[in-house]
Amino acid sequence: MSFGPHLFLALLEGTVSAFVLALTALGLSLVFGVMRIVNVAHGEFFMLGAVLAWFCASLVGTPVAGFLFALIAAPLIVGALALAADRLVLRRIDYHPEGTIVATIGLLYIIQQAVLTLYGPEARPVTPPVYFILSFPWFGYSGYKLVVAAISACLLAATWWLLARTKLGLYMRAAQQDLEMAQAFGVPARRVYAMVFALGAMLAAVAGVLVVPIQQAHYLMGLDPLLLSFIVVILGGLGSVKGTVVAAFVVGISDGVVSVFFSPTLAKIVATLLVAAVLVVRPGGLFGEDRA
Amino acid sequence: MATVAAVAPLLETEALCKRFGGLAAVNDVDLRVAPGEIRAVIGPNGAGKTTLVGMICGRLVPSSGRVLYRGRDITAMRPWERLMQGIVYTFQVTSLFKSLSCYENVALPAQRRLMRGFAARLALREKAVAERVCAALASVGLAGIAEQRADSLAYGHQRLLELAMALAAEPQLLILDEPTQGLAQAEIEQLCDLVRAIARSATVLLIEHNMPVVLALAGHVTVMDSGRIIAEGTPGEIERDAGVQKAYLGR
Amino acid sequence: MNDLATHRVLALHLGVLALLFLAQFALPEYHHTNVARIMVLAAYALGYNLLLGYTGLMSLGHAMFFAAGMYGAGLPVYYLGFGAAGALGAGIATGMLLAAAFGLMALRTSGVSFLIVSLMFAQAFYLASLYFNEITLGDQGFILSGKLAPLQLGGTPLGFHEPAVKYNAALLLFAACFLLSLGLRLSPIGRVLIAIRENEERTRLFGYDSFRYKLLALVLSGGLAAAAGASYALLFSYVGSTFASILFSIYPLLWTLLGGVGTILGPLVGTGLMFYLVDIASGITSAYLLVVGVVLVALILWFPQGIMGTVRAKWLPWLP
Repeated sequence: MSFGPHLFLALLEGTVSAFVLALTALGLSLVFGVMRIVNVAHGEFFMLGAVLAWFCASLVGTPVAGFLFALIAAPLIVGALALAADRLVLRRIDYHPEGTIVATIGLLYIIQQAVLTLYGPEARPVTPPVYFILSFPWFGYSGYKLVVAAISACLLAATWWLLARTKLGLYMRAAQQDLEMAQAFGVPARRVYAMVFALGAMLAAVAGVLVVPIQQAHYLMGLDPLLLSFIVVILGGLGSVKGTVVAAFVVGISDGVVSVFFSPTLAKIVATLLVAAVLVVRPGGLFGEDRA
Repeated sequence: MATVAAVAPLLETEALCKRFGGLAAVNDVDLRVAPGEIRAVIGPNGAGKTTLVGMICGRLVPSSGRVLYRGRDITAMRPWERLMQGIVYTFQVTSLFKSLSCYENVALPAQRRLMRGFAARLALREKAVAERVCAALASVGLAGIAEQRADSLAYGHQRLLELAMALAAEPQLLILDEPTQGLAQAEIEQLCDLVRAIARSATVLLIEHNMPVVLALAGHVTVMDSGRIIAEGTPGEIERDAGVQKAYLGR
Repeated sequence: MNDLATHRVLALHLGVLALLFLAQFALPEYHHTNVARIMVLAAYALGYNLLLGYTGLMSLGHAMFFAAGMYGAGLPVYYLGFGAAGALGAGIATGMLLAAAFGLMALRTSGVSFLIVSLMFAQAFYLASLYFNEITLGDQGFILSGKLAPLQLGGTPLGFHEPAVKYNAALLLFAACFLLSLGLRLSPIGRVLIAIRENEERTRLFGYDSFRYKLLALVLSGGLAAAAGASYALLFSYVGSTFASILFSIYPLLWTLLGGVGTILGPLVGTGLMFYLVDIASGITSAYLLVVGVVLVALILWFPQGIMGTVRAKWLPWLP
């Protein structure tokens, strides 16, 4: 296959992974932006979504039913887990920034190793709910991947609508701007925080469900999405849907292109250093707490 | 407006400005403080007093204008270098090392003075630091509590501890930002005695809201409002000044 | 600190070292190697504690300093035939240079930003060690034992595979890092670092260039970590990418928190305890890292001062 088609394939792949990355990163971005905390276990919510999807698929007969079941059940279960984590741990330490990081690292290992125990170390595939090939002149492309992109786009739009047009979204944006002021106006901070944390986890879980027919479910699959989400969130800006989506596309597509033409490892090295550079150069740090 | 005696000023600001976004917190301030003075800076909340002294001690970088100390332009001088020049600032809100002992709190500024140059650092002995710490604590009346944690002290004593820390830094220009805030009357009087004692060997720049303290301590008063100096003079003159009264009452 | 306190402190800490020295004659073989390993890793934790406990900077990237020491020592031995002393020196120098370069860039940030920057740099380092795997042999790593010449002490060769040599070399490394940390803690510089941790702005206004002090702490911290990494390579004969991974940056955080952040004895206690916890757990299940997760959460919720921190708060306030 010559360069042109190769590039086109890379762009297609990049676009699909960008959509999934946008969903995952948006979850992290909301938590980062509204709660001002870093959730290191975010990737594990993604992994849980994928693993739960596998469980759903093995319980139900047809791939379509399994997929739909997973699409509803997995985020709900992961959301509940996130609520529990928020209630039992994060709230107890009052969302202290560095304490939260340590606690969520702990959470990462607890979730990851629990999955290892209950699900095992193997990578297991899940049959896609729909299977059709888009025939291009140079190659065939999996139709399911485009379904993934479509569903992701819908969910991104739905989240944007939630933020921009609903009361919860208003509360979230208010809490992000100025928590004390928001509380003075009656915004129930604790409940908003719990909802945001659950929402962030659920977005990651859905992304995991969508991705699992493409990528097998494995207990270590959370780390890469975590690092990529970090990169997207820091480049795109905390708590902003638009920024996250744009950054996800920039990162997702360039990662896809560089991976195809050079090496995936090199792509990651560049992305990682880019994020570090942005943080170092940007005055005011992540939350505006640093001296300029 | 009475003028300060024609001696070379210890501290001078020239057209000093600090802007935050569109707001000029300090606007074109020319301040002149003579050596050995006790100068009070008063004004309503938001007048720019803390911002002004912030630029003098180095916490804030001016938007424009100059700060001159002993004739030298120190506008670009970093905060830690200004300490070595003798400019010492105590914060408006208590700023101690809360979980450390009083000894450790005072030892930090005390040892700095003994760390001039590489050879001095090598020769530094804890005994020399201890002597200075004990002297500073004794001079504010806190001799016995060296081993206590700073946050276990009563508020009044914490303020005294801060003063001890400032003294251990060997100030030539001591800037006190609302030192009497939150203190009981007896503590205020004790503080005034201490400031008078300090003023025998250092120049004092005092931000205060408490008018009796200003009247008791200050040789000269500078009044600020909305970022500018609106009046300067002796405490008696300022008390009678109509413009000053309007600034305070018109709020 | 007065003379009595200093004597007490010195007696305690030298006593611990003496105990470690004597232990080698009593320990059965399995634990003998374990304790040697623990001592090297505790040196790593001591380096980490210097930054977190005494300067207040939390990093998630210390694996890059450990690995810099490991590769800085291992590569010259493997490819250039360096001896142990030269390799150790090369490893430490590599770590300190990396820490200095990193610090000059990253210390403009603080708090969570600093943490993420350190994580990103360390991750880039790890990926680079995989990318250049013709040299580093990546994940698989390489073994030094064939290539490393034994130490010569007055004509007697001391091979690193010999348990006694391994143990005492590890003890020597630990003792050096231990006493360096203690000395720093009790010195005027230590006082400044603690002040920076407690209230950086106040410290700056009392005449200290906090950036320079933080940089110094970071370079020393990186140096200790690199010394541990270099020693690990030389004593246990293996160099590989896993030591540059994120888990290896999380370990010193875990060990330090468990043992007691901001105490000199804490890192040793935390490393030892965690080593055995993981050891026991790995005998029970392949999901032994669960212990890591549970301990971290438990520490944050109920035990933030760690073991020696609690000891200091409740019974021994003079503990540095």
